[in-house]
Amino acid sequence: MVEAPDKLRRVAIPGAPGAWSLAAPGAWSMALLLATGCYQGADLDGDDDATAPGSAGTPGSADAGEAGTPTTGATDTADTADTADTADTADTADTAGEADGLPQTSRYPRLSHTQWENSVQDLLSLAEPTGFSKLFIGDPISGGFDNNSEALKVTATLWTDYQRGAEAVADLVAGNPDILAKIAPASEGDSDAQARAFIIAFGKRAYRRPLTPEEVDRHVQIFQSGVSTPGTFEPFAAGVRLVVQAMLQSPFFLYRIEASDVELDGKIKLGDYELASKLSYMLWNTMPDDELFVAADAKLLQDPAGLSVQATRMLEDPRAHAMVATFHHQLLHVDHYSDVYKDPNKFPNYDPAMNAMMATETMMFVEDVVFGQEGDLAALLTAPYSLVNDKLAALYGVAAPAGPEFARVDLDPAQRAGILTQVGFLSANAGAFENDIIHRGVFMNLQLICSPLPPPPNMVPPLPPPVEGESLRERVDRHTGEGTCGAGCHGGMINPLGFAFENYGPLGQWQTVDAGKPVDASAEFAFKDGVKPYDGAVQLAQLMAESPDAHRCYVAHLLEYGYARGPQKADDTLIQKVADASQAGTLSIKQMILELTRSEAFMYRAPVEG
Amino acid sequence: MPRKHNFSRRAFLYGAGGVTVALPFLEGLRPRKVVAAGPERPRYAVFVRQANGCAQAEGMEPEQFWPRDLGPVTKESLSTTDADRAVSELAEYADKLLMVRGTRFAFPGNGCGHSGGGNQVLTAQKVSDDPSGNKSLAMGESIDNRIARELNPLSNPEPLAVYAGAMGGYINEVLSYRGPKDLRAAERNPWNVYQKMVGITMLPEQQIMDIKARRTSVNDLLKEQMQSLMSSPKLSTDDQDRLQLHFDAIRDIEIELACSLPPQEELDAMEAQGDYSGQDDRMQTIVMMHCNLIALAFACDYTRAATLQIGDGNDGTEYLIDGNKFPRYHQISHRIYSDGGEGDPIPDALGKHHRIDREHAKMFAHLLKRLSMYTTDVGTILDDSVAVWCNDLGTGVGHSYNNIPWVCAGGAGGFLKTGQYIDAGGVDHNKFHNTILSAVGLTNMEGAHVDDFGDPELEPGVIDAMIAV
Repeated sequence: MVEAPDKLRRVAIPGAPGAWSLAAPGAWSMALLLATGCYQGADLDGDDDATAPGSAGTPGSADAGEAGTPTTGATDTADTADTADTADTADTADTAGEADGLPQTSRYPRLSHTQWENSVQDLLSLAEPTGFSKLFIGDPISGGFDNNSEALKVTATLWTDYQRGAEAVADLVAGNPDILAKIAPASEGDSDAQARAFIIAFGKRAYRRPLTPEEVDRHVQIFQSGVSTPGTFEPFAAGVRLVVQAMLQSPFFLYRIEASDVELDGKIKLGDYELASKLSYMLWNTMPDDELFVAADAKLLQDPAGLSVQATRMLEDPRAHAMVATFHHQLLHVDHYSDVYKDPNKFPNYDPAMNAMMATETMMFVEDVVFGQEGDLAALLTAPYSLVNDKLAALYGVAAPAGPEFARVDLDPAQRAGILTQVGFLSANAGAFENDIIHRGVFMNLQLICSPLPPPPNMVPPLPPPVEGESLRERVDRHTGEGTCGAGCHGGMINPLGFAFENYGPLGQWQTVDAGKPVDASAEFAFKDGVKPYDGAVQLAQLMAESPDAHRCYVAHLLEYGYARGPQKADDTLIQKVADASQAGTLSIKQMILELTRSEAFMYRAPVEG
Repeated sequence: MPRKHNFSRRAFLYGAGGVTVALPFLEGLRPRKVVAAGPERPRYAVFVRQANGCAQAEGMEPEQFWPRDLGPVTKESLSTTDADRAVSELAEYADKLLMVRGTRFAFPGNGCGHSGGGNQVLTAQKVSDDPSGNKSLAMGESIDNRIARELNPLSNPEPLAVYAGAMGGYINEVLSYRGPKDLRAAERNPWNVYQKMVGITMLPEQQIMDIKARRTSVNDLLKEQMQSLMSSPKLSTDDQDRLQLHFDAIRDIEIELACSLPPQEELDAMEAQGDYSGQDDRMQTIVMMHCNLIALAFACDYTRAATLQIGDGNDGTEYLIDGNKFPRYHQISHRIYSDGGEGDPIPDALGKHHRIDREHAKMFAHLLKRLSMYTTDVGTILDDSVAVWCNDLGTGVGHSYNNIPWVCAGGAGGFLKTGQYIDAGGVDHNKFHNTILSAVGLTNMEGAHVDDFGDPELEPGVIDAMIAV
């Protein structure tokens, strides 16, 4: 029912979520970054050689030689996808335990197309989704994940698409006796009573809350309009048709509305039905199920314990597994694995079919760690096993599992630790011939540490040609290390993390030699709790698993995805609290998700400012 | 599921390929927005965007795109003297061409040259600080949006935005903006585009009336519901704006096309592409279908502005040309087998880039042919339009923002001076867009040529040499 991760559109590189800052990578390099104007996000997918105007010596061209420094955002306007406050420092984290206030959020987050599809399927109790949302105009990419509901809007074009979609669903319903019987069961009374009964029951599920008596009356009018233009349908079916057509275009269906308005102590508590929707769209990407409605009817959800009961139940459902899978698929850029390509001469053992296998491996590993083992972030980063088939086992240098299916194999703990040493990540961040130290380092910074890495400057020249006997590390260092203009970002932040992976070739295979010399995978990185040295990715993974940076970054990303909005300064305290527990080894990833449903940010909203 | 249309008497004569079709004008019957300025005859603008620059003179690479000499161009000159240039593919339309060299994007990109170019090509606005890199966005509306919001019929307020190619996710749509950072999604599937354009037009009369009656009932309810939500005093500005956008989108006026619709075999061909998801070897087919739809849209006065984006942000299409599968276009434009900074050189990459330029010229020529198919009482829809072939970069290797290749066709009702190749002298390209906006009939507050499109810091004005005296 939910889009399988491998059908997701590839998401561009997210900016590090923002207002709260994380690792301060050494005072001097932070000062340098701030001086050059830091902003989120980096050019990750290979196209570093951007340009400024006036470049290239075309005869007769005017205005040559403008420097490639980006303009400052004097005309920057409010952006719902972005964070509220960017003038932050490392001090924010030290105020853990203080109330931050609640983040400012939209009261009208719009359903994504996937959520529209799932909601319609569940509303009508269909075995399969209708697929009608395929005709909807797409939503342009916005933010780190594809589900930033506050950035979604109903444009003129999309409104027409919703209209057509609603009519298609309505026609489907009216023409299908089974569906009709399910959503408008035969009941007592005359046709008016039957219409009323249908509107009350169906409307409650479509609008995800009980209709008021006035609303019921108004929809009965709609029903009667439908009866008067029956087309080829029976009167009752025609009435149902128009009500369905109307409800699916209603803002009460298309938005997950937070109407609650009573302010107490500077906070507004969300109502039971609002909490039910918030929970079901977060964990399942769809409308509440019957059990959740019953809990809302009984007003059990406003009590955190009651909400927890439901959240715990829902986490066990396959739909929650899909949510976890989708989150990791986007966080780890698993969609990039489909672009992997290796030179057939240099890598005769490479088979393009491996790309999909690598993706399967990573997703199965995530599923096993999170649900099978009820593991935590440390397990994700350091567990020395994976789920592979025979082809992938060969890349790891281990015996193939028995049988054609993917199965768990133990890996050499001296060589492998968690997701960072899986062949998918390593191959996707490598070229056809050789490793890509810089992009492995950038990935680590943005996706797992949330460093405030600025984008590269506009006119970045490519790596220089290799010098005889020079290792890749030496070459990268020559181009971007100490003494070069890239020293600030590369020297302190990007390269040290990339160097750690030099024991793994472009296909993720273990290697100990590069350009005839022993691989040097040693470096040091300034984590939030100090500069730490390491030799190789296994040690780095261990340091990551112990670092406050990685825990905080992961939680922040999880919050961004779970809450379907960019994180704000006001989320700091929550993020810190959850990250601390994760770092202490007392919180599994499943429990992290539950924590996010117990927070004030989940159960309350902030009064609108101004 | 899409259904076959029962062509009733509402369908008029079809035009078979190459035969011009008479188009009845029903201006008076269609609700028209009252605008401060607008031409008597409607004029249209379409922007067809190629990626990765063109093979024009840069460094050691010779000129292969533009004609040799500035000044008049003729069918003769393009097909003989300049036969080795990419624009020679348009020789048939020489007297309608207006080629403009010597404009530049004013602002630097922000970490990604492709994205910065894409942000600016139709907006002449700054590139966002945040987001940055390949995710950067333009800081203002695009020209097609400006035209549509001022001149489109009330039933269809948005410009037509269509797309051919993969949507790989690095950068997808680049062209059309509703406002600052408000990127418009484009429709990739020609059959979807057609169905939305036609709407309920082709159904039997009674059915149309029933549908309209139902829609009116529903829309009344929707407006009430929206108004009750919008009346809350406690909404953030963002929420107010979003609800207002939604409210304004609720339209009672139906799109009613009173023009000739394509013949059945063209409809069947579009429907057969219903599963298109960006396959490289279907690129030209899809582009041509979109060209057909754009011409139809103009002929039916469905929209005054359209954009057709060919390829994603850095177009990695492996074009199939004359039976040969080319390497990825983005890589060709870098001259190496890589999307990044280094890789093995592609043999005759320059020649391949030029060949792709020719292929884009041919696709553009198809659009011109289709626009020419629809006649009016004074000429063709092409004469009433300006079709603009453009690029988000000047060149591939250098990612230059100079000498952006603008190749216009169609005089926009006689406003533009066609049959010539000019050099604008290195001006910022906002002036090009000011000229195009003026060409479709818009004016500034004083009733003179539009001169202030794009970022307000840019020098205002038009490119005089483009304008017929």
